Amino acid sequence: MTGADGTPLIVAALLLPLAGAAIAFAMPRTTRWVGIATAVVLLAVVVMLCGAVGAGGELSHAVGGWGAPLGIALRVDGLSAAMLLTTAAVSLAVAAYGRSYFRDESAGPAGFTPLSMLLIAGLNALFVSGDLFNVYVTLEVLGLSAAALVARAGTPEALTGAMRYLLVTVAASLVYLLGVALLYHLTGTLDIRLVGARLESGAAAWSAVGLIGAAMLLKSAVFPLHFWLPPAHANAPAPVSALLSALVVKASLYVLLRVWLDVLPAARADFGAVVGALGCAAVLWGSTQALRQDQLKLLVAYSTVAQVGYLFIPFAFTSAAAAGTAWRGAVYLVLCHALAKTAMFMSVGNIQLFGGDRIGELDRVVQRLPLTMAAFAVAGITVAGLPPSGGFVAKWLILEAAVQEGRWFVSAVVLVGGLLASIYVFRVIGPAFTKGAQPRQPRRVPNAMEWVAFAVALATVLLGFFGMPLLELIDAGAPFGNALEPER
Amino acid sequence: MSDAHAAAGALAARALLWIVLAGAGAMLATAVLSLPEDGLGLADETLADLGRTGVEHPVTAVLMNYRAYDTLLEMAVLFLALVGVWSMAEARPRPTAPPGLVLQFLTQLLVPFLILFAGYLLWAGAHEPGGAFQAGAVLAAAGVLVTLSGAQLPSVPRALHRSLLLLGLVTFAAAGVAVQLGGGAFLEFPPSAAKALILAIEAAAGISIGLGLVAIFEGGRPSEPESAPR
Repeated sequence: MTGADGTPLIVAALLLPLAGAAIAFAMPRTTRWVGIATAVVLLAVVVMLCGAVGAGGELSHAVGGWGAPLGIALRVDGLSAAMLLTTAAVSLAVAAYGRSYFRDESAGPAGFTPLSMLLIAGLNALFVSGDLFNVYVTLEVLGLSAAALVARAGTPEALTGAMRYLLVTVAASLVYLLGVALLYHLTGTLDIRLVGARLESGAAAWSAVGLIGAAMLLKSAVFPLHFWLPPAHANAPAPVSALLSALVVKASLYVLLRVWLDVLPAARADFGAVVGALGCAAVLWGSTQALRQDQLKLLVAYSTVAQVGYLFIPFAFTSAAAAGTAWRGAVYLVLCHALAKTAMFMSVGNIQLFGGDRIGELDRVVQRLPLTMAAFAVAGITVAGLPPSGGFVAKWLILEAAVQEGRWFVSAVVLVGGLLASIYVFRVIGPAFTKGAQPRQPRRVPNAMEWVAFAVALATVLLGFFGMPLLELIDAGAPFGNALEPER
Repeated sequence: MSDAHAAAGALAARALLWIVLAGAGAMLATAVLSLPEDGLGLADETLADLGRTGVEHPVTAVLMNYRAYDTLLEMAVLFLALVGVWSMAEARPRPTAPPGLVLQFLTQLLVPFLILFAGYLLWAGAHEPGGAFQAGAVLAAAGVLVTLSGAQLPSVPRALHRSLLLLGLVTFAAAGVAVQLGGGAFLEFPPSAAKALILAIEAAAGISIGLGLVAIFEGGRPSEPESAPR
């Protein structure tokens, strides 16, 4: 099914952010406009691409005209389209916010805009790739750009966090590459689908899948491999934290999901049980840690550890019907959580700029930054999974799958995680109303930064009302349906 | 008491870590030993279509045609590494002390040959080992040598320098899009034009790689930004 119409859109989604980065680098004077202009065009392209995928199912493109196994195949199904849409939406919000946040930046040609555009390029390239080695190259782009972005804060803590993140992500990439090398030796191809068709179960095949799985769990910071995330995400500049929490940790989930769906069906039940259990542990651990934090950004970062846990729970489901439902929920949660976390980090960024980034230091913030606190509260509704937000729809689907399979422990984890999330969100909102122990001289927060945070938060609630078209998009090309059928 | 407790806990954690590592290592060793002696590969397919790639060396064919898209992204990685280095700091000021006689003499002797050799590697890549990355590395060696010897690299306007750093990536992507607009797939080089296209891309990439590596060696962005971004 080569979609003649959609192909230029795939290539455009790949090259647009690269072009944006190149222009911002070559002509630093344009940097304040290039990021946002690129993001607007990218969002338009991705929406058209989603339309094409929704109408015609999976699109594919053989780069160089060779096709697998000799060349590299690009594939866009509903899952890829949803990830691309998430990326484009968050990148627009972050570009708009970053314009004000970094307005005094003096890095000349090498500032936030080119680095963030390169990050987006890496993400887009990953989400359309159908080739295991090509995925490795995109992971390199992601890891390098993310580490450089964390270091932009310039503080010693940020540099330490960035360095640790770089070491972790490069180590994980090499472990992944070792797994890919084993798979290539066994099957003589790097195309994900062809590997899946040719691979036979055995010690080497299991090791390969295990290596790739471990690498991706590390990159996604799934409990107990989350140690690097809070320092990196909490010390980065706010727009960067938003990009990392909203998008980068989900890139590795995507890789793991593709490998899990396409490569070794025999390993599914056993790996799935382990990964699902880790997901549950992450929800409980991340939420309790978030409850104990006083520094706002650390609280939001631990909340990411917890919410990423939800995304790994669906690996545990064994029946096709339950797994299908849970995955739809999880992919929907990717989109909702991405927007909610973006809004939360933006609000915290505003509060930091305003003065004070600890709960104890909040001083009548609601009265003085009403839009910012509203954004935090509304995004908190989605993170806690309360109606009418998109997060509610997503977690409801995961819960439904758990009940369907009679997994009461998983259902309890989903509910308890939501409860804990409401508590840690309220821990911030409560003190924001009252007078702080020490009154603060507020610094001015640019209006644009407040409005962008609020608009993104509002979008998470609107997502609750547009659930159906999005769930239909995720199903386009049946990313879960086909792959799960043989398991029955 | 609690100190001893903590020490015991740390020891247990470390022991557990070693056990897990040993287990993973053993599993991996078993897996590697169980591999068939002759792994499957794509050598036959690579050679079968070599005539349509525009080059005669199979490695160059993989890098610049079959999997040109990977190489395009690798060019983006190199660009990204440069932007990353520039984003962190300004370049250190160069040492002003005059270099020793030997270094100066050798630099004057070697640099012209290095540049010539880079050009040769670029050309040779079509039929034997070589190509843009090797040529760029040799070019970079020449640049680093000049920098170390205290001589000034020819000064070019900042904007031109940045354009040259981007030349490889932009040429590569533009060629890919151009052939797609001509009716093919992205990066599908028509066999008749493949040789010329690949040579052009490699020449551009070689220049960008060489300059990029020298710029990374400098350890930061050029000092005194020409204008505050506003």
